[in-house]
Amino acid sequence: MSLLAADLRAFFAAALKELRQQRRYPTLFLGQLFWPAILPASWVLMGRAYSGDDPQALVAFAERAGSSNVAVFVFVGYAMYNWLSALLWGAGTALRQEQLRGTLEAVFVTPASRLVPLFGPGVGTLLPMALTFASNLLALRIFFGIFPPVAAVIQAAVIVVLGIPALYAIGALFAASVLRFGEVAPVVQLIRGMFVLACGITFPVAMLPLWAQISAKLMAPTYIVDDLRGVLLRGETVADVAGDIAIVLSLAAVTAILAVAVFGYLERSARRTGMVGRF
Amino acid sequence: MTAAPAVETKDLVKVFERGRRTIWQRLRGEADKRDRFRAVDGIDLVVEPGEIFGLLGPNGAGKTTTMKMLATLLIPTSGTIRVLGIDPLARPREVRARLGAMLSGERSLYWKLTARENLEYFAALYHVPPHQTKARIASVLAAAKLADRADDYVERYSTGMRQRLALARALLPDPPLVVLDEPTVGLDPQASRDLRDRVRELKAQGRTVLLTTHYMEEADQLCDRVAIIDHGRIVALDTPAALKRTIRAEEVVHLEIGLEGDEGGAVLDRLGESATVARSERSNGTLTVTAHCASARNFVPAAFDAARSTGTTIRHVEVVPVTLEDVFLALTGRALRE
Repeated sequence: MSLLAADLRAFFAAALKELRQQRRYPTLFLGQLFWPAILPASWVLMGRAYSGDDPQALVAFAERAGSSNVAVFVFVGYAMYNWLSALLWGAGTALRQEQLRGTLEAVFVTPASRLVPLFGPGVGTLLPMALTFASNLLALRIFFGIFPPVAAVIQAAVIVVLGIPALYAIGALFAASVLRFGEVAPVVQLIRGMFVLACGITFPVAMLPLWAQISAKLMAPTYIVDDLRGVLLRGETVADVAGDIAIVLSLAAVTAILAVAVFGYLERSARRTGMVGRF
Repeated sequence: MTAAPAVETKDLVKVFERGRRTIWQRLRGEADKRDRFRAVDGIDLVVEPGEIFGLLGPNGAGKTTTMKMLATLLIPTSGTIRVLGIDPLARPREVRARLGAMLSGERSLYWKLTARENLEYFAALYHVPPHQTKARIASVLAAAKLADRADDYVERYSTGMRQRLALARALLPDPPLVVLDEPTVGLDPQASRDLRDRVRELKAQGRTVLLTTHYMEEADQLCDRVAIIDHGRIVALDTPAALKRTIRAEEVVHLEIGLEGDEGGAVLDRLGESATVARSERSNGTLTVTAHCASARNFVPAAFDAARSTGTTIRHVEVVPVTLEDVFLALTGRALRE
């Protein structure tokens, strides 16, 4: 077995280990089902409370958002927020828990690539995220009577899958900081807040000042959330957003390379300071 | 051709900084004024293949830091290391593939997984070939006497069972070298005996075992050779028997002497005429003395004479054989547990 094949096997074993541990706490999955349905629904209702049934308000929204369907716009934004949170928290939290538990040293004395504990546990967040998306769709149907066309949902799923590497890489980049600083929460809060503000997750990017709109173009979530809305709200196809997908994949590659470099640097730093075994 | 040493270190040093340097201090470019602490201070070590080698010393002596450098978890400040002839700084993955390490005991396991699930995960991390994984796991579980509890969650195990599982995990790659950091800490006497038996089995299988301990009995009973380490330096290195011979005493006598006033110095002077006073400590009117002597049969009456002549009273006498604790005491003036 080649080294790469052995590391790939270790990678999937790390993901399986994470899923097995999640399975021990089945009530966590309930949270993944209910909260994603309730919270965005409350935002939509709040929007309706502000504008009532005023058609002018909907026209103004459509001018900025590209669609007057507030419910789908908000639900897609929330799904993106949830997904981003899970991946930002997932990898860093998994690494931090390994450190706190004392298992990180045991993992680091094996010949597996250091990238296994960095990237492997993130896979464990994918199943709960799939549940969240399903819950979002169900809530749209139950609360607002909306169910996007099946073809659009399938194309949205394709965009989600193609977006995974980018969000995964962002999560891994910040997870690496655990090795140096021991705690990932402050960094994740800051970065998550920045993405929520800058990437059009809860409101259209057009609302931002020009410089912020330009900055948003450097962030993969901006494209992913816009493309999801494109196929679900504006009748676009994956082919129509292929250019955006190429940008997202390129940003994913750049971020992943950066994450590996930062992780390598911080891992060496942790081996100098003894931070691997400290918490 | 002779085999390369299992472990070889030359002038190994590890320096840590105490305290933190804040981001503000870094941004302002302030000089790094943190204290520097030499956890390992020039260790030269050669561990031969097939032996059980012990690093014996008190907490904070530098044992674990040394182990972590050998296991590639820490980068030395200076000095050289060869593990099975390989430089762990240049080729860390090759070292890890040949090394079974049990460094943080029961904390190194996933308690929410079963023993089998733990081992399946680590087998993948150790790059055990897939077609060998099942048999390898069955083998290490059987050797650890955990086969019948393999599908129980680790959280339901006793501390001793978790330690055995941690050792089983370390053996998954079938390593020629096993490093164990304080393997019996926190175990009851029976569990400690079981684990020591496992370590002897490892030697019988031809593996080299390097372990740290602060239990003198463990080092004495288990190790072919022992390095006594204190303040990051090796203060003695030999077989347990040879180390015990260095203090030139056949027996050790512990005395508790009741004092009325300032007679402590006088009675110690008198005791010193017939034995080596290795350690004395005065507390609440009691002088506790550890004396190394050739014969307790001769020394104890002399001690009573000394007490009578100085107006003190011997309250308790205990005669014990020489141990590695006494060697440490003779070398450092302190007990291992201090």
